[in-house]
Amino acid sequence: MTELFTNPLLLLCAVIAFVPLLAGIVLIALFPKLFLLVVKNLRRNLLRTVLTTVAIMFLVFMVTVILTVVYTLDLFTTEKSKDFKLIVMERWQLPSQMPPTHAKYLDPDPKNSQFLLDRKDVTPNDFMSWSFYAGSTEPDPKKRNLNNLAFFFVMNPHHIRPMMDDLGDLDPKLVEALVQTRRGCLMGRERMEALDKKVGERFSVYGLNYKDIDLEFEIVGQLPEGRYNKNAIMNEDYFTQAMNKYALKNNGKKHPLDMKRLNLIWLRVPDDATYKRVAAKVESASVFADLPVKCETASSASSRFLEPFRDLLRIMKWLVVAILISMSLVVANAISISVRERQTEMAVLKVVGYQPRQILAMVLGESMLVGGTSGLLASTLTFWLFNSIGGIPFPLLWFAFFVPWHALIWGLAIGFGTSLLGSILPAWSARSVKVSEVFAKVA
Amino acid sequence: MKLLFYLFLVVALLVGLIVMAALLTGLAAIVHLLLPVAKVPLRYNLRNLQVRWKTTAITALAFTVVIFLLTWMLAFVQGMNHLVKNSGHPGNIIVLAAGSNDETYSNLPASVDVRLLPKNVQEMVLKDGDNFWAVREVYVVVNQEFIHPKTKELDRRFVQMRGVDDVKMAARLHGLELQPGGQWFSGKTYEVVLGASVAKKFGADLGKDAVEPGDEVQLGSRKWRVSGVMKASGSTFANEVWARDIHVQESFGRKTETGPSYSSYVVRIKDPSLADKASDLVDQERTTEAITAMTEKKYYENLSQTNLQFMVAAIIVAIMMSIGGVLSVMNTMFAAISQRSKDIAVLRLLGYGRWQILASFLMESLVIALVGGLLGLALGSLLNGLTATSVVASGTGGGKSIVFALVVDQLVVFAGLALIVVMGLVGGLIPSLSAMRLRPLESLR
Repeated sequence: MTELFTNPLLLLCAVIAFVPLLAGIVLIALFPKLFLLVVKNLRRNLLRTVLTTVAIMFLVFMVTVILTVVYTLDLFTTEKSKDFKLIVMERWQLPSQMPPTHAKYLDPDPKNSQFLLDRKDVTPNDFMSWSFYAGSTEPDPKKRNLNNLAFFFVMNPHHIRPMMDDLGDLDPKLVEALVQTRRGCLMGRERMEALDKKVGERFSVYGLNYKDIDLEFEIVGQLPEGRYNKNAIMNEDYFTQAMNKYALKNNGKKHPLDMKRLNLIWLRVPDDATYKRVAAKVESASVFADLPVKCETASSASSRFLEPFRDLLRIMKWLVVAILISMSLVVANAISISVRERQTEMAVLKVVGYQPRQILAMVLGESMLVGGTSGLLASTLTFWLFNSIGGIPFPLLWFAFFVPWHALIWGLAIGFGTSLLGSILPAWSARSVKVSEVFAKVA
Repeated sequence: MKLLFYLFLVVALLVGLIVMAALLTGLAAIVHLLLPVAKVPLRYNLRNLQVRWKTTAITALAFTVVIFLLTWMLAFVQGMNHLVKNSGHPGNIIVLAAGSNDETYSNLPASVDVRLLPKNVQEMVLKDGDNFWAVREVYVVVNQEFIHPKTKELDRRFVQMRGVDDVKMAARLHGLELQPGGQWFSGKTYEVVLGASVAKKFGADLGKDAVEPGDEVQLGSRKWRVSGVMKASGSTFANEVWARDIHVQESFGRKTETGPSYSSYVVRIKDPSLADKASDLVDQERTTEAITAMTEKKYYENLSQTNLQFMVAAIIVAIMMSIGGVLSVMNTMFAAISQRSKDIAVLRLLGYGRWQILASFLMESLVIALVGGLLGLALGSLLNGLTATSVVASGTGGGKSIVFALVVDQLVVFAGLALIVVMGLVGGLIPSLSAMRLRPLESLR
C-alpha cells in the first residue's frame, strides 16, 4: 500500500481512478434522477453498450498484461535508496565463473576469519552465493528437451529466507529439510509437473553445464507459487561433495570447472554510502587480483541484462499507448453515435429545464460508467486468471510475471481515463445542442 | 487449469466459426457483386460513408492503429527471422561438447581436430591441398566497460567475442569479407576484427559513425587494436568481435588447469547435401571425446525459438486489438443500419433482394476497414529497414544479442491485408445480417 505514495505513475492512476469514482458517487447522491437517466440510456441500446463494454474489456486485458510485464521489469531495474542488494561477479566476462574461494572473503559468518568487509556494513543475513547446476533427467543426450531439464540454484539453505526474493516467508521446516537431507532439493510446481515428480520422489539428473557431474535428488518440498515455479534449489554442500568425489575418482584431478563454479555473490547494504564503501573495497581487494570482480547494484546488473530487450520493451510501451488510443476511439465512436441519435431528446431535456452542464454530465456519466465498469471487470479478470495459472509466461526470462494488485487501479483508471477522453467532444456537442435548430429540422 | 483450457477452446472455436462464416459470406457477397445481374446499391453505401464522415473516420482510425502496430510487430519478428536465416552456411557442420546446444555452454578440449571425427566424416570434409576447411572457435560474452558518450560516466555492456585459430579460414567458412582498408589480424598482437553492427556501436563511444582500422577498443583489462571491420553480412556475425583464439582464452577465463578450451569446431562438408548425414554420423558413432554435431543452418534455426515466442505474442496482441476494432466497426454498422432502416425498406420495395442488402452493408464495413487499414499498412511499411536490438535464443539458455533491420516484406503486407479483410467482414457480418432481415413494411411504419 505504501507503493501508492512512492510510485508517481501509480499515484496518478489512483487519482484518475478515484476522483471520478468519488465525483460519481457525489453526483448520484445529489442528482439521483440524472443517474437513473444515465442507466436507462445505457439499457435502451443494450447491444451498443455490450459491444462497447466487451471491446474495452479486451483492450484493458491487453494493457494490463503489457503493463504487468513492463512494471515487473521496471521493479528489477529501478535503483533503490535503502536496503538494496549488490551483485559481485566476474569483472570481464559472462557467465561469471569465479573460484569458490571468492565467496569466503565476502561471507560475514562470525566464524569466518577471512572476511574482507566491515561487519557493520554487511551482517550474516546480508550474504548469499549462487552456483548454477543444470541437468536433464534423461540419460540419452539426444532425448533431452525442455521438459526433462532441471535448473538448480546451488546455495546455502540458511541464506534462502533472508536473501532470496519472495522466499522470506518460506516454511522454516523446508529449509531444515534441505539442510538435513543431503540429496534434498526444493522444486517449483511447474518443474515438478514437467518432470512428472512429486514431493518425496527421488530421481537422477545428468549434468549439462558440469560434464560428468550426475546427481541423485530427493524432492523435500515445493517452492511457493510464483517466480520459482520452473526452478529448484539444492544444498551447496552436496555440490561440493560431488566435486570432491569427481577428484577422488580421477586420481586427484579436479573437475575442469571446479575452480570456476561460483557464479554470483549477493550482498545487501543499508544505503548508498555503504554500497560505495563495499564496492570500492571489493573491486580493489588484492585477494581478487587473479580473477578481478566487479560489485554493482542488482538493479544496474538487471538493466544491462535487459538491454538487448530495449526495443522490444519500447514496442510494448507504444502498444499500451496505441491500445489506449484505440479504446478512446471505440468510446468516442459509440458515444458520438448515441449523441447524434438523441439530438431531439437532448433538445426536449433542455426544454423541460435540464441545464447544459447536466446534459454534459449525463453523456460523460454514460461513457464513464461503461468505461469504468469494463476497465475494473477486465483488470479483475486478468488478475484472477493469470495469478491462478502461475503468472504470464515469458520463457526467455525463465520466470513468469504475476499481475500486481494495483492492476485493479490501472483498470479503473484506464477505463475512466479513456472513456473521458473519448466522450468529451460528443458530450460537448450534446451540451451545445440548439433547441430551435433541432425542432426546426423535426418540423 | 483444464477448465480454463476447455473454456479457451470453446471460445476459440466460436470465434473461429464466426470468422469462417464472415469470410464465406464476404466471399459470396463479392462473387454476387461481380455477377453481371447484381445491382447492389454500392454508390448509396459510399455516399453514406461520406455523409457520416466523422464516424467513418473514427472507426477507420482505430483500424489504422491496429494495422500499424501489427505491421511493426511482424516487421520486428521478420527482421529477426531474416537474420537467423542468413546465418550459417548449408555445407558447414558445427561440433559442440555433448549435451550442449549453444556455444555459450560448450567446452571442447584444445585437442579438438578433424581426427576426432568418425573416419567416414573425415572423408567428407572439404580440403584445400593438405588443409581441411575447419576452424576451432571459442565464444565468450565479454562485460565491456566504457564511458557513456552522453552521461560521460562509466557504463557497462555485453559484447560477443569469438576467438578463432585461423581467421582467414574462419572468414572463408562463414562467407565473411572485410570492408576496404582493413585486414584480418595476424594473431601476433592483440588485434580484433569487428562486425559491422559492433563497429557502429563502438563508434558512437568515440563520436564517430563507426570504428575504423587503426582505432583501439577496450575489452577486458586491455586495449585491442582494430585491424578491420567486416562487411555487413546480415548474419549474427555482424554483432561479434573476432580475435585470435589464444588471446581470447587467456583474457576471458578459457584457459584452465586442464588447458585452453574451445566452444565449437566448424567444418565444411564437400557436398552440402551430405551435411545432415555427416552431423548424424558424428552423433551416432563412438568418438574419443563426447561431442555432438549439427548443421550450422540447424544451429541457427534452433536460435529462432525466441522469434517463435515473439511471433505468438504478436499474434495474441493482434487478435486482442482486432477484437476491439471489430466491435468498434460493429457499433458503427449497427448505428448506420438503425439510422437507415427506412432507406433499407425503400431499397427492398424497389426490388433489391436480401442478398444485395447484405452484400452492400458488408462492402460498406469492408471499405471502412480498407481505408483505415491500408493507411496503417502504409505507415507501417515506412518502418522497413529501421534497426532494432533483440535476442535470439534456443530457449535452453545462452542466446545472442543482435542488431537487425526491421523487414516489411510480402508476408507482413499479406498478413496486414488479411487482418483488414477479416476485421472488416467479421465486424460487418452481424449488422449486415440484421439489415438483411429487416421487414420493409414494418420499417416504414
